[in-house]
Amino acid sequence: MSLRVLLVEDDRELRRTLRDALVIEGHEVLTAASLSEGMALLRHAPAEPGQPAGEPGVDLVLLDLGLPDGDGATLLAALRRRHALPVLVLSARQGDQQKIDLLDAGADDYLVKPFAIGELLARMRVAMRHRGVRLHSAVIHYKQDGLLIDLAAHRVELDGQAVHLTPTEFNLLGRLARSAGQVVTHRQLLTDVWGAECVDQTHYLRLYMGQLRAKLEANPAEPQRLLTEPGVGYLLREADE
Amino acid sequence: MAWALGFALMLWLDGRLDLSNLAMLLVLCSAIAALWLPAIVAVTSATLAVVAFNWLFVPPRGSFQVDLNQHALLLAAMLGVSWLVAGLMARQRWQTLQARHHLRQAEQLRQLGDSLRDTDQPLAHAGLLGSMLAVPQESSVVLLMPRDAQVPTAVEDADLIGQADDEERAGLWHCWRQGLAMGPGTGRHQGLDAWYLPMRGRDAGHGLAFGAAMIRLPDTERPGPDARAHAQALCDQMGQALQRVRASEAERAAREQAQLQSVRNALLAAISHDYRTPLATILGAASSLQTQADRLNADQRLSLATRIVEETGQLARLTDNTLQLARLDAPGVNLRLDWESAEDLVGTVLARARRRAPDRQLQARLEPGLPLLRCDALLLNQLLDNLIDNALKHTPESSPIELLVRRQADVVVLAVRDRGPGVPPAWRERIFDAFQRGNFASGSEAPITSRPGAGVGLAVCRAIARAHGGDLRLRARGHGGSSFECSLPVTPVPATREEASA
Repeated sequence: MSLRVLLVEDDRELRRTLRDALVIEGHEVLTAASLSEGMALLRHAPAEPGQPAGEPGVDLVLLDLGLPDGDGATLLAALRRRHALPVLVLSARQGDQQKIDLLDAGADDYLVKPFAIGELLARMRVAMRHRGVRLHSAVIHYKQDGLLIDLAAHRVELDGQAVHLTPTEFNLLGRLARSAGQVVTHRQLLTDVWGAECVDQTHYLRLYMGQLRAKLEANPAEPQRLLTEPGVGYLLREADE
Repeated sequence: MAWALGFALMLWLDGRLDLSNLAMLLVLCSAIAALWLPAIVAVTSATLAVVAFNWLFVPPRGSFQVDLNQHALLLAAMLGVSWLVAGLMARQRWQTLQARHHLRQAEQLRQLGDSLRDTDQPLAHAGLLGSMLAVPQESSVVLLMPRDAQVPTAVEDADLIGQADDEERAGLWHCWRQGLAMGPGTGRHQGLDAWYLPMRGRDAGHGLAFGAAMIRLPDTERPGPDARAHAQALCDQMGQALQRVRASEAERAAREQAQLQSVRNALLAAISHDYRTPLATILGAASSLQTQADRLNADQRLSLATRIVEETGQLARLTDNTLQLARLDAPGVNLRLDWESAEDLVGTVLARARRRAPDRQLQARLEPGLPLLRCDALLLNQLLDNLIDNALKHTPESSPIELLVRRQADVVVLAVRDRGPGVPPAWRERIFDAFQRGNFASGSEAPITSRPGAGVGLAVCRAIARAHGGDLRLRARGHGGSSFECSLPVTPVPATREEASA
């Protein structure tokens, strides 16, 4: 799969390293060192033949948070007004709150600097696959290592055995399954499962995640399916091919 | 009274004694009168008495005629002695008064000095100074003093004690800045109806003042230079106290600064050491790849690259820890507290540790029914990460590592336990200081700093635990090994919305 990637990163060395690594993987890379440059590239990148008019000529955006001329959120907002293309946030550890804000605002995933190239490529693959899934079918079947979730039929099976879940547990699992392989923030989970008024009630989330793990994980202390992103949210391991 | 008695006695004795004896009585009377009467009155009354004596007793009686040969000398001597006595008595009385006044002033100075001597709050004694300044003149006093040990830059930054209009305030401020007295008798701004006195420090001549006082003078009676000198002395005592406080404050700040500097230097020295080790490995491996690439086989290249990746991870952790330590050391640290489950924390940490050391024996044990913890998930993860990292680094490959979470009364204890060589008793507290590193061969008291280790690791851990109102301690285990135990207080969880079981 060859992608056209827009890389917005102000550090020259990191930009060059990432670009080289992506080019070796067979992707085409447009680089921008600032927010304004990134916006300009998004607007003017030539659309590929066969793409619907109005879509930018970019398949995926890698967005650094600390840009010299502004907040990455500005670009994300501008992008989300028109396009659905995946955005991966690159952040330093200090920018945790900003990172969460961007995820809540519609970014697909994030990577904390420093990160390994392998990690970046894996996250890009997930983001692209996720977009593909979303475009093709709204109803999903999730299947991974013996766990089967059928959202339409409200059915969960573990190793062929039906698992009994409360409605809230099922909603929570379903929300994670719809974004399988991607971090869903606490805020998103609380809003989508409990409602906007419960957005600060993180303890609901902890209790129900504990219950879900008790039912779905072999060893809840070492979860293999329902993974924690500390301080950010949860993710359900990516489904098998 | 004395005069009446004197004259009565003289009339009675008239004729029995001669004139010169009577005259002695008169001199005695005028001396007695001079004891009480003011000098002018005493002199006048002595003069009148001599005239009356002349009229009554000096022959020819009933007239002012004086026999020049006989009585003129007597009368003149009487008059002279009476005046002299009156003058001496008045002078004596004035000196007594003066001495008493000085005594009172000295007493005031001593009293103020005593109350200011040991205080670090001279402002608290402003009232005493005010009353001392006001009493002799029956006048109102306004003080302008610094609010704290800082040097005020504007009159608004100083404390005004008493009522003053803008002009008077400006006058006080001016007096303070100039360090010179103003007002009647001071030679500066003589037309004012108040004294403006600076509270001068030890080197009064240098014009350095630490406050100012204003004494409004009554219109009727202007006190003299002596009263002003005394008021100035009182003000200077306050000035010296203020100067002392400011000096000790400056000294304390300087000491703190020096301490901070030395801590920072130690920190920098240690950081640079800890950073150099992984940097040296990275540079060595990377430059080898750069210059010898064509002579290395694929395995060697891979091993160099792996070392670079590993050491970079080490550097990243060290950076995280150092930044975190600096952040937690700063006052008013802001934790992002949220409800977290021990399961989440342990699961994340364990997964990461397994990635880092796939061959080690790692195990988690969680007591069932643990309460949720009110904590900053990222910090707690960092704490557990560091503890496990430490255990991995300082114990043999074969030694198992256990992560245990249990409740003890009103705390939850997260313990990382190993079966390694343990920590000698002398080091059980010191390893929590930043940049102490332990790799203890059994029996040796001094750590051998052979393996790389983040010297900040345990210091950060303890800082994180304490920032959460908990603590981190090291306990030696019964059959060898260490248990690093982080205790966190249990906070009651808010009520949860109940759900009907489906």
